[in-house]
Amino acid sequence: MQSARFRGAQRSIAAVAITGMAVAALAGCTGSGGAGGGGGGEGGSATSGTVDWWGWTPEQAVAEEYITAFNEEYPDIKVNFRQLTIDGYEAALRPALASNTGPDLFDIAPGAQFVQFGPNGTDLTEQVTEALGDDWEDQLAPIGVAGLTDEDGALRGIPVGSTFAGPVWINQQIFDEQGLTPPTTVDEWVSVCDKLEAADIGCFVQGASQVAFDQDTIQAIADTINPGLFTKATRGEAEWTDPDLVEAFTTWQRLFDEGIMQEGALGVQQYPDANNAFMAQDYAMVMMGTWYMQFTRPNNMTLAIEAAGVGGAEPFNMTPIPFPAATAEGTPGAMFGDANYGLVVNAKADARNAATTFAVWLGTSEKGQQIVANALNDIPSLTSVQPDWDSIELVNPEVQRPKLEELYERAATVTDNRLLPNSDLADAIGNAATTLAAGDVTPEEATETLQSAAEAAGVTFK
Amino acid sequence: MDDVVINAPVLTKPGDAWEPKSQPKRRPRRLRSPGYVWLIPALALSVGLIYYSVGYTGYMSTLEWDGVSPVSRPVGAQNYVDAFQDPIFWKAIRNTVVFFVFSFAVQTALGILFAAIMHSKVKLAVLYKVVIFLPVVLAPSIMAPVFRQIFSANGQVNQFLEAIGLGFFAHPWLADQATALPILMVITIWHNTGLTFILYFAAMGQIEPEVMEAARIDGAGNFRALWSIVLPGVQGTTVAIFILSIIGALKTFDIPYLVTLGGPNYATEFLGTLIYRESIPLANAGYGAAISIILLVLALGLSMIVNIRSQRKEQ
Repeated sequence: MQSARFRGAQRSIAAVAITGMAVAALAGCTGSGGAGGGGGGEGGSATSGTVDWWGWTPEQAVAEEYITAFNEEYPDIKVNFRQLTIDGYEAALRPALASNTGPDLFDIAPGAQFVQFGPNGTDLTEQVTEALGDDWEDQLAPIGVAGLTDEDGALRGIPVGSTFAGPVWINQQIFDEQGLTPPTTVDEWVSVCDKLEAADIGCFVQGASQVAFDQDTIQAIADTINPGLFTKATRGEAEWTDPDLVEAFTTWQRLFDEGIMQEGALGVQQYPDANNAFMAQDYAMVMMGTWYMQFTRPNNMTLAIEAAGVGGAEPFNMTPIPFPAATAEGTPGAMFGDANYGLVVNAKADARNAATTFAVWLGTSEKGQQIVANALNDIPSLTSVQPDWDSIELVNPEVQRPKLEELYERAATVTDNRLLPNSDLADAIGNAATTLAAGDVTPEEATETLQSAAEAAGVTFK
Repeated sequence: MDDVVINAPVLTKPGDAWEPKSQPKRRPRRLRSPGYVWLIPALALSVGLIYYSVGYTGYMSTLEWDGVSPVSRPVGAQNYVDAFQDPIFWKAIRNTVVFFVFSFAVQTALGILFAAIMHSKVKLAVLYKVVIFLPVVLAPSIMAPVFRQIFSANGQVNQFLEAIGLGFFAHPWLADQATALPILMVITIWHNTGLTFILYFAAMGQIEPEVMEAARIDGAGNFRALWSIVLPGVQGTTVAIFILSIIGALKTFDIPYLVTLGGPNYATEFLGTLIYRESIPLANAGYGAAISIILLVLALGLSMIVNIRSQRKEQ
């Protein structure tokens, strides 16, 4: 009896001890949050190992293409790409980086995302210098490098490619069938929409409930009135109440009031709704950036049309046009952009060196960058690399190729950023956009509120 | 062997539920210790995963922190002060109250109505039950794009209105601040009524047929029987649905986030969507944690009030 009791007590003590250890482990897992916790030792081998890579882009098939080409040079590094939705990306990445379970390598966008997650990455300046030489900054697109370099000059992410917003994409087939010329001013745009409406075809579709795309449109409008003023306002070098910016917001409201923007735009999301509506040819125009070039390739467009729920998908001819000028005296077609994404090596990762090898290869090698260029999703970081147009199949090469080449040329001259480092300011611009679209405020009131919100968000105006 | 005797409780009369008629004076010692051991996994799970998380969220709510940076700044109760001064927070509270009142009232009425009809021996009852319950098992993430399409300016609702000559009612339902919240309530009611129906259907099955029969003999009609016999008989279910609806309204996130993103202009902002927006896209994790704690306090407080009032009423 005594022995049975002793065994029972032993079992109890063991169970309590195990439970205590489990609770402590759980607490330890969560409590070690923050970049300071944990670590990956020396970072492992640079030529072998397994690298877990998280990102919202590229598409899985494109990532596999990168990895296959990479493995021809580095067969002993296994790269596992996990594509997350763009909406849920930060929600997944934040706790993963705060704990020790994060990926070895992850995508990062310039702007607010870089401000938040950039400090979790290693400084990659030395590795890029080794790969490209001391003049590496001259060989990479400056706008990509600038957005992924922190205030101490450390390169925290290697830009893989850039994307630019500003163009409007049109369904060239609809325009040709209706005998329409692409608009160069907002007045002409209104006229085009009237004609399309008379033909029972939707004119322009935008998912105005996703305010990041509203910001693109307002910036594009503002740049046709006073190029660069919008960017200056985001940096505190101009006030949001500047008459030219008030005019830009007035024009934004005009898009809703004069029937350019589709009815109910505030209840529509850019992805998937507006994208699907354009791909289904329900609308003739949509505002998307250079990332839309990928759909000039017939296979990509067929897949996008099928994803929009259209049976028997037939790719159609679509082309980019400069954003129509707000006024007759305006300058149509400004573009603005950043690195689409940079590859960041997690400072806590065990496979840091192998992850660095892959990131440097994709961002700086001609082979890696050529695949990036030919995918037509990003404009490659390495400025010497251009798409191999002769080998890229297009839906209508005769019409599309000159337009795409022109888009490439214009992108090379861009100096204004698209993504803002201050997420509260981006939120305030979105509020101004949607309250104006709903007709709740006047453009003057919206810009005054925006000015106050920008000051509250920490923007210092000079 | 004498120390493993277990005395099953014996009911004496209906009021003495689970009151043991006789108890041994002292419980055998060998039964106690292993008994507590079996509690430890559940205790570890709840302490480790739930209460620790609640405590950590409470700690986070006193920080100015982006949720990932190694640097954070203690701000005491400032996040709570900011929340109570934030007009969007109050808008989320107002939306939650309106959402709860209407969705609870309609869901409950429909649940009782459908359950009463199904107890009245209708033909094809099984088919109707499946049809009513089906929305409960459909994931909001699957249905959200469908609802965005149905209620869009060119959507099926407007097409239907035009087809029946009510085109003047056609409207971009989700893009209008005045109609976006009511549409979300319609979607939620469509989604949740099946569950309310099942709970009431089961509860009504527990009402003694003799009581209904006596009421009928006394001349009670359908409405009188429903009001005086059925509704008091399912009161416990109503209280449970009331509490679940309060908690559900406070936690509402998926449908507004997926269908309207909390817009337009915060017209469909709820505490859940506000917490997500502040914590993730805006990286104000401390502020988001403060709103989470406020949500927790509201959910617990309201549940306790309803429970206490319900128990007093029963006594």
